[in-house]
Amino acid sequence: MSAAAESLSPTTGETVTVIERRNRMGMWLIIVSCSTGTVALLVAYAYLWSLNVNSAWAPPAGTANWAPVWPFWVIFTGMFVATLLLWRGQQLIARGNSRALVRDSALASLILLLCFVGQVVQIATFPFGPQDGAYASSTLWLATANCIWLFMALFLTGAVMNRTRAGRITPESRGHARLVAMFLTYLCVAAFLGSVFTTVMQESPNTGSPVFGTFKE
Amino acid sequence: MSTAVAIFEQKHVPQPRQVGKPGGFLRRTNAVTALVSGVVLAAIFYVATGAIVNAVTGGGQQDDLSLPEGLQVQITMMYVGWILGFMGGIGAFAGPIRWFLGHDLTYADAEYMAGKDMGRKKFWKYTTDHKVVGIQYLVVMLVLFGFGGLLAMLIRTELGITWAEVFNPNFYNSLIGTHGIVMIIAMIIAVSGPLGNFIVPLMCGARDMAFPRLNALSIWLLVAAVPPLVSNLLMGGIRDGWTVYQPLADQAPVGMIGYQICIIVFAFSTGIASVNLITTIVAMRARGMTWSRVPIFVYGVMGSAIMGLVWFPMYQYSQILALSDRVLQTSFFTPATGGSVWLYENLFWLLGHPEVYVIVLPATAALLELMPVFLRKPLFSFKLAIAGIFGIVGLSAVVWVHHMYMTGWAPQSNYPFMLSTELISIPFSFLLLVMLGTMWRGKPWARLPMMAVYAVIWNKVIGGITGVYLSDTPVDQYMHGSMFVVAHFHFMLMGAGLFGAMGAIAYWFPKMTSRYFDERYGKIGFWIAFAGFQVTFFAMFVAGLQGMPRRVLQFDNAFNVANWVSTIGAYVIGIGMLVFLYALVISWRSGELAPGNPFGAHTLEAQTETPVPHENFPVLPVVTSDPYDFGVPDPYELEDEELIREAEGASKVGAS
Repeated sequence: MSAAAESLSPTTGETVTVIERRNRMGMWLIIVSCSTGTVALLVAYAYLWSLNVNSAWAPPAGTANWAPVWPFWVIFTGMFVATLLLWRGQQLIARGNSRALVRDSALASLILLLCFVGQVVQIATFPFGPQDGAYASSTLWLATANCIWLFMALFLTGAVMNRTRAGRITPESRGHARLVAMFLTYLCVAAFLGSVFTTVMQESPNTGSPVFGTFKE
Repeated sequence: MSTAVAIFEQKHVPQPRQVGKPGGFLRRTNAVTALVSGVVLAAIFYVATGAIVNAVTGGGQQDDLSLPEGLQVQITMMYVGWILGFMGGIGAFAGPIRWFLGHDLTYADAEYMAGKDMGRKKFWKYTTDHKVVGIQYLVVMLVLFGFGGLLAMLIRTELGITWAEVFNPNFYNSLIGTHGIVMIIAMIIAVSGPLGNFIVPLMCGARDMAFPRLNALSIWLLVAAVPPLVSNLLMGGIRDGWTVYQPLADQAPVGMIGYQICIIVFAFSTGIASVNLITTIVAMRARGMTWSRVPIFVYGVMGSAIMGLVWFPMYQYSQILALSDRVLQTSFFTPATGGSVWLYENLFWLLGHPEVYVIVLPATAALLELMPVFLRKPLFSFKLAIAGIFGIVGLSAVVWVHHMYMTGWAPQSNYPFMLSTELISIPFSFLLLVMLGTMWRGKPWARLPMMAVYAVIWNKVIGGITGVYLSDTPVDQYMHGSMFVVAHFHFMLMGAGLFGAMGAIAYWFPKMTSRYFDERYGKIGFWIAFAGFQVTFFAMFVAGLQGMPRRVLQFDNAFNVANWVSTIGAYVIGIGMLVFLYALVISWRSGELAPGNPFGAHTLEAQTETPVPHENFPVLPVVTSDPYDFGVPDPYELEDEELIREAEGASKVGAS
């Protein structure tokens, strides 16, 4: 497509292709930065699991339990489906089908809303409190981080739907839908890793950890 | 150096429907509305959280509010209210909401948000123009330095008055911690903030940063992050140094929450700024500006931004989890309930050490940038300088454990990390070598920015050599936690970072303010501060070698003389800085008007006029030569001369 025939940005006058390239790069960098944060949470989980400091990784016996892992996988599956829908929608709009993106982003929003509600319910019904040891803390924060991401994902997919309906996302200018799909893909990876960690790493391998006392003043 | 190509004609671009006046909601927002809504929402959150805590814990019993947990939740939510209110009041949420609803900015909206024809009001608003953001960063940085410097004077006063106690120990510890983190924040933004925003887009030949609204977001997030930090002094303070190690921080008064909120928000600000800077540099360079023609200052800022982007979230999450330990009673860092203080230290130092390079790299690169201008010769070994910058960026990821030699964590890792830390001195030496090579047989133009080069070379050599000692595990066992360490990192952060920043700001001051920097007062202030700096921190080296521990206000009489000398030096620094600040203020108010290219630089920012036009360049430039080709014949001129000679030869042949 020649530059003359390409859409131009109303605010800067640059071609949409130039702006989309820039936006994609920005999104990649944001994903890199967010990934470091996710890695921090996962490292915290794995580190505390492997150390089992003061034999206090597991929730106290008799008062609490391990969290059921199926909600993590159900929520991840929902996020995965929503992401696939958004990728499909932005591919269909490339072929001129704007309605498909409206439909797919609406469906993705609905699924993400269900995931968000599910995540809140999961956090509220954990069989332990935040104070019940390192496993409880780590699991709670993996779920909470996912909850915050889901809220943001909901905002983004809702925006894609609104903007497509308003004619801002068009076959010629669909960069924002692609950016949101990229970000959702990252969120899926983060949710997947969180699910794997909470499923695979429950009982600590370190059964003989030293007892440090209470460290109370 | 450049030819002109117009890339767009704005009037031909179809515009979305203009709803209301350009700017919309942002017409009604500014720093005052931000302040008011921040305070109001903070108060609402505080009261509402108190009521909820009461209801949950005891049916509205007042006693419950005095519980540490309840109070901590309240204070945390108060700060959250402040941040949300402040950002809402400045107009930060208007853009995302508008975008969500499917509305796009018109050209007129974008022009309003960039502060066109708005006068000085634009400095108090959510303005997107990178030049305005650069000035805002400069002012915030000066305020932070002023505050941090004042705390430094109080610390030195306490240590200098050896015959009496000026402050109580808890307040003294709070001074230390607050001074540390305020100065760290100020130094992180010292060059990358004002100059990264103002100068880098100009150097790249861009009209603005890649994401102008994110640019405004980054500075106002920083502004919002500072009051929680400062307020800690009124709420028990940060008594654990700027590192706020666990579990001490977990047991500290509620002032610690201000620190944690500040870092969490500041990390967002830094991340956003880093994304913006890297994208601008990679994707918005002028036509013809290949990577071999990118100015070295741009490389330095990019290296710093990469480290900030990758490592800051580690620091941010360390504080999120620490706050969670305090408020939600989780146990990430509490050994009694399965947490680990080593986890905190690892997360903290994963940024904590690269942050030194986040500070020093841009300042060093700025000096490398100005050296060819004041020596009128090319930068020595441009590629070696780039190797130095990216060598530091790469190795910065594998040195953090040298801060933990004495913690008992993984002692077997000490020697590999000792090696990696000593290795990083090699790329650092590259940069020094480039400095010295550029100066070799040069004829320096004795202006203030060039003075900073000499000062920084000296400081960096001292700081670097002592750093090599400290990275050595056996030496660190003796030196760790002593005043020697304090002197070392001040030589790096202040000696290389701050003095470099002073030179850089003096160099680009005419571009930023349209006025020459008053070099008479500037030089006086600079050299007084430099002399005071040497006195202060060499005395501190002596105290450290004698065995004086850091972070104590009572010590043996054997250390008295070193502390007296150090305190006198600190006051001298203070006087020098005040003179330098005076020079800056009078230059800004009534300095001599400067032309577009006051020092004859070849980089693009010097090719546009001063004051810089709203869109930076009337037409976008095209780069046709290197930025440091001083003294090198212009190949195009040579080509022209050859053509002329050929033409003359041909005409002679024809005539004969």
